[in-house]
Amino acid sequence: MNKLLWGALLALAAPAAFAETGHGANTEAIVMFLLFIAGTMGITWWAARKTQTTSDFYTAGGGISGFQNGLAIAGDYISAASFLGIAGMVYVSGYYGVIYAIGFLFGWPVVMFLVAERLRNLGRYNFADVTAFRLEQTPVRILAASASLLIIALYLIAQMVGAGKLIVLLFGIEYKFAVVIIGALMMIYVFFGGMTATTWVQIIKAVLMLAGGTLLSALVLYAFNFSPDAMLAEAVTVHPYAEELMSPGEAVTSNPLNALSLGLALAFGTAGLPHILMRFFTVSSAQEARKSVIWASSFIGYFYILTFIIGFGAIALLVRHPEFFHGGLDGSFNMLTDLIGGTNMAAVHLSNAVGGSLLLGFLAAVTFATIVAVVAGLALAGAASIAHDLYANVIARGRSTEKQEMRISKISILVLGVLSILLGIIFEDQNVAFMVGLAFAIAASANFPVLVLSISWRGCTTRGAVMGGFIGLLVATVWVVLSKTVWVDVFGNAEPIIPFPNPGIVSIPLAFIAIWFFSITDRTARAERERDAFDALTVRSQTGIGRSGAVAH
Amino acid sequence: MQRDVVAEVLKHPKYQELVKRRTRVSMSFFGLTLLIYAGFILTMAYLPEVFAQPLGTTWTMSVGLFVGLLVACSAVILIALYTYFSNKVFDPLLAAIMRDVQ
Repeated sequence: MNKLLWGALLALAAPAAFAETGHGANTEAIVMFLLFIAGTMGITWWAARKTQTTSDFYTAGGGISGFQNGLAIAGDYISAASFLGIAGMVYVSGYYGVIYAIGFLFGWPVVMFLVAERLRNLGRYNFADVTAFRLEQTPVRILAASASLLIIALYLIAQMVGAGKLIVLLFGIEYKFAVVIIGALMMIYVFFGGMTATTWVQIIKAVLMLAGGTLLSALVLYAFNFSPDAMLAEAVTVHPYAEELMSPGEAVTSNPLNALSLGLALAFGTAGLPHILMRFFTVSSAQEARKSVIWASSFIGYFYILTFIIGFGAIALLVRHPEFFHGGLDGSFNMLTDLIGGTNMAAVHLSNAVGGSLLLGFLAAVTFATIVAVVAGLALAGAASIAHDLYANVIARGRSTEKQEMRISKISILVLGVLSILLGIIFEDQNVAFMVGLAFAIAASANFPVLVLSISWRGCTTRGAVMGGFIGLLVATVWVVLSKTVWVDVFGNAEPIIPFPNPGIVSIPLAFIAIWFFSITDRTARAERERDAFDALTVRSQTGIGRSGAVAH
Repeated sequence: MQRDVVAEVLKHPKYQELVKRRTRVSMSFFGLTLLIYAGFILTMAYLPEVFAQPLGTTWTMSVGLFVGLLVACSAVILIALYTYFSNKVFDPLLAAIMRDVQ
């Protein structure tokens, strides 16, 4: 196995070094990226020896501490898309980026107060274990797996396409090649090292990202004598929107319902994201799960504040550097439309402006690492859905051995890896901006209502959960497809069928109402049994009794 | 045998207290979270002019940006307070129950 890993490392290193001579290559970035790969391969090799059982593979044997898990969750959450995306959004429209950051952050109190500890006490590997605790395995797991795999696919495509483009720009290698590198690295980490390797890659990356973001923000503020207001004043002077930068703006005021709807999906989506929820099973107890949330939310909150400094700093400082723009003949440029690589690159150019090529290289390498780490976490959650939910509990109905389940997981990882490379290539020139938003909407409309009601409402039955979950899933998806984001921007129709693009305000309440309605009208004997089992569920969710070594089937 | 433990816990007087108090506390925190978050989003959507004002005559930073920072901090503070509650109140209660049933 050792030999295999080094072989893979060499195969990756050779073309990356070759790219040094290519267009737009950055030697510092490549060196730091190779160091990161070498370090994480070492970890994977170490983790591979500890990964024997399915519990090791899915949840690192439950041996991660609350602090470590908090960092890993922050790592999963501060993806390249959210870091570069939010900084870019602030760069373009100022205050509008705040809605996203605050919405993403408010997912955490929701997770903490409604699900975190109970999740840890009730489940083994993924959140489907929790919804299937007292409800019927087969339908509930099919629902959880369908929603989870759809969310993971959307997220994977968005990450792969965004990442591929970024890497083309940073390292000067070809798009297809970049996508293959990400897919290959992800497969190595997850295939050999399972959750242990995935978690440690995520922790290292989170630390690097927090350090890099802190340094970048400090350098930006230094340019304004550490006065944030002086920075904002400069930003307002140079930006075409001027004072509008400081207010909610057209995007919000032209359609308040849409803003509200987006806010709902962002805040409730987190508590339904399979790869985030899975992290709660890597800690040993509900107390540690609690600690995970407080660390994760602190790091995420801190990082978003850095992102604002970086976004507004980019407005104030990048205009002084015409070399970052496609200029006109007379040297004039539009700061919004002419930025090289698009506005998502604002943070990357800023690092070059204030920290030179060394900081640029560092940030580029960390961004690449981020993508690989987030993709690895997604693939692991996907493998759990396929092997643990669909194979072990639906197809084999609990008769499979641990060894068989592990084998299916590993095959799933390979399939998901190849699939993500193919999807990344197919969607190269597609507009994928809506995909993360849709993933959040599905998480908030299908997984979140089912999870919350199944653990906190006695009356919830299998029929209610399955009907409600599928209705939420369907309404959210159809809504997005018929709205401007897909119907007009992707399919090229003239007018959207649905007035605004975010489904949350309709699909989330609808899912809750459907679960309630189809549960209270459920008069079967099975429904009675499920209601009676609520006491046992509550005892375990509150105390954790029966958790260790518990097999729920 | 596990069935007995569940029944025992259910009968334990402190268990009822734990469930009641914990549900009340987590629901209050959740309500407070929703209040802050909905207040923020609704103000932004329906009273954008409030958020557009500068903090003061010499300031560029707007009320909305400043409130946004406070709202972001409040999310972390709420989580920290809840953790404090759990450590101080619920963990000892839980430990007492576990001592009795095991």
